[in-house]
This record gives sequence, structure tokens and C-alpha cells, in this order.
Amino acid sequence: MLDAFSRTVVSADAKGAAIGSEDLADLRKYVADANKRIDATLAITQNVSCIAADAVAGMVCENTGLTQPGGHCYPTRRMAACLRDGEIILRYVSYALLAGDPSVLQDRCLNGLKETYLALGVPTSNAIRAIEIMKIATVAIMTETNTGRKMFKGINSGSGAQCQDIAAEAASYFDLVIEALS
Amino acid sequence: MKSAVTTVVSAADAAGRFPSMSDFESVKGSFDRAKARLEAAEKLASCLDKFTNLAVDAVYQNGSYEQANKDKCVRDIHHYLRLINYCLVTGGTGPLDEWGISGMREIIRIQLLPTAAYIEAFIFIRDEIQINDVMSQQAETEFKGLLDYLINALA
Repeated sequence: MLDAFSRTVVSADAKGAAIGSEDLADLRKYVADANKRIDATLAITQNVSCIAADAVAGMVCENTGLTQPGGHCYPTRRMAACLRDGEIILRYVSYALLAGDPSVLQDRCLNGLKETYLALGVPTSNAIRAIEIMKIATVAIMTETNTGRKMFKGINSGSGAQCQDIAAEAASYFDLVIEALS
Repeated sequence: MKSAVTTVVSAADAAGRFPSMSDFESVKGSFDRAKARLEAAEKLASCLDKFTNLAVDAVYQNGSYEQANKDKCVRDIHHYLRLINYCLVTGGTGPLDEWGISGMREIIRIQLLPTAAYIEAFIFIRDEIQINDVMSQQAETEFKGLLDYLINALA
């Protein structure tokens, strides 16, 4: 597993060069944005069940057949598995966001996920739809553009409007999940 | 690779939980020190060759080691200082542990190079070179901490 720092180290080592001023610029930005990053991660961890439940409910609403007998979310045990997976994916996205690098998500969550879903008969198109909704919800919560109440408290950086860049980064991690399942 | 963030994430993942408040605190703590670390890494990168040459010259001056091995010594000291530069960036001892310490002592011995020479060189860098001319006090502390770690590992 790598983070933003060790990613720089691994690529510098491949060249056999020490890490000088140029390579450090990105890392300095990472350090300077640390509080926003922590806030953005909190936006996920404080709203996990809300994000996952909304996404799965949204997916089911768009395909009502899923919860009917014979559907993929019937009986409730399978629906529960769906909610659980939503939370697991959010957990790995939160790790990747905190580390500033997708390797933990790739290695520990996405590696073999599509094969597992195919073997279990999970329809990946529906799974992708749920992940898309989670992505939209997460970005909205982080940037405070969601309708209704404010969903997280920026304990470190104040306003969610400052979290635009980090929210875009989080969106890119959801895109990796979608890509892995496509 | 071990760093402040990956340690926290590994522990959270092993327990299957989201990063907790105390995890965030420890990540924040490492970021607070990051400024000094990155400064030390930057300055060390620019003085890597200088420090290497000063240290190797000092070690070979007293004539107790074979001059034929000097090139190898320069290469290795340079390599170790580069790994210290990486450690300063990651904020953990991961790069030194994985690429510099495990197995390295055996390799130095099998080439019939005396590990004492390396230790002398690093002690010279730690004690004799005016490091605070090039970097701030805090950065120097971070750098010397890693030098001590390496000296202990090789001793």
C-alpha cells in the first residue's frame, strides 16, 4: 500500500535519484491541504450509512423489479449484502482519499471484484449505477452543494466550498471502481 | 510502504472500520512535522554529493582502509543518503528498512567491506559536518534521527 509520499519515493527509486525541489512541490500541496483532506474524509465517514442506503434505494427505485421475487435484491438478505458492499466500497474510497493514492483501493478492494460479482451473479450494471449515485452524493456532501441540511462539520478547514479539488479527487476514486466493474 | 498514513490505514482495514478520530489525529500529527521533513529532504538532495565526498575522504584519510574500495564506499554512502532522503519524505523508516537494511549488512560483509567504515562515515556526517549551515534546526533533528537509526542498524 502506498500513499502520496511513498508513491513519490517509489518513482524516484526507479530512477535512482534523490527527491529534490521539483518533486516536493506536489507533496507540499498535499501537506498544505491536509486539513481539507481530513474534512473531506470525515464527510464520508460521518455519512456512510446515509450515502450507501440512498444509493441502493435509488438503484432499486430505478429498477423496481429488483426487489420483486426473482429480482436480484430479493429476498432481503441479498438487499442487505448490497448495502454492506456499498459501505465497504465507501470505506476503501475513504482510505484512498486519506492516503492521497488509489493503491489501497486497487489492491484490497477492486482486485478481483468484477470476477467475484460475476461468479455470484450480481448484475454489474446495477452495481455501477449504485456507485454512480454514491459518487454524486459524496461530492455533494463534501462541497456542501447537497439540498437539505449540512451533512458534515468541517472541523479543520471550515467551508466545504474549499474542498472542490479534494471532492474531484474522491470522484476519481469512484470512477476507478466503476471502471473496474465495467 | 510504511508511513504515517499507511500505518493508520492498515490498522483500520485490519479491523474493518472507517478511519476514526484518533486516526485523523495521528495523521495530522505527522503532517505537522512534514514541513521540517520535506525541508530536510530538499536540502539533503542538494548536498548529497558533497556530504558523501566529505565523509568518504574523512574515513579514508587515516589510511586504515584499502584505497581500492573507495569507489564502492562512495557508491554505498550515496545510496544510503538517498534512502534517508526517501525516509524524510515518507515520514517513516520504510525505505531504509526495505531497501537499505534488510540484507544489506550481509552484502557488505560478503564483499569484504568493513561495516565499521560505513558507521564511521555516518558518524562523521552526523557530528562533524556543519549541517545547520544548510538546513534549519528542526530539519537537522529529523535528518540526524534517521542517521542514528541507520548507524544503530549497521552496528
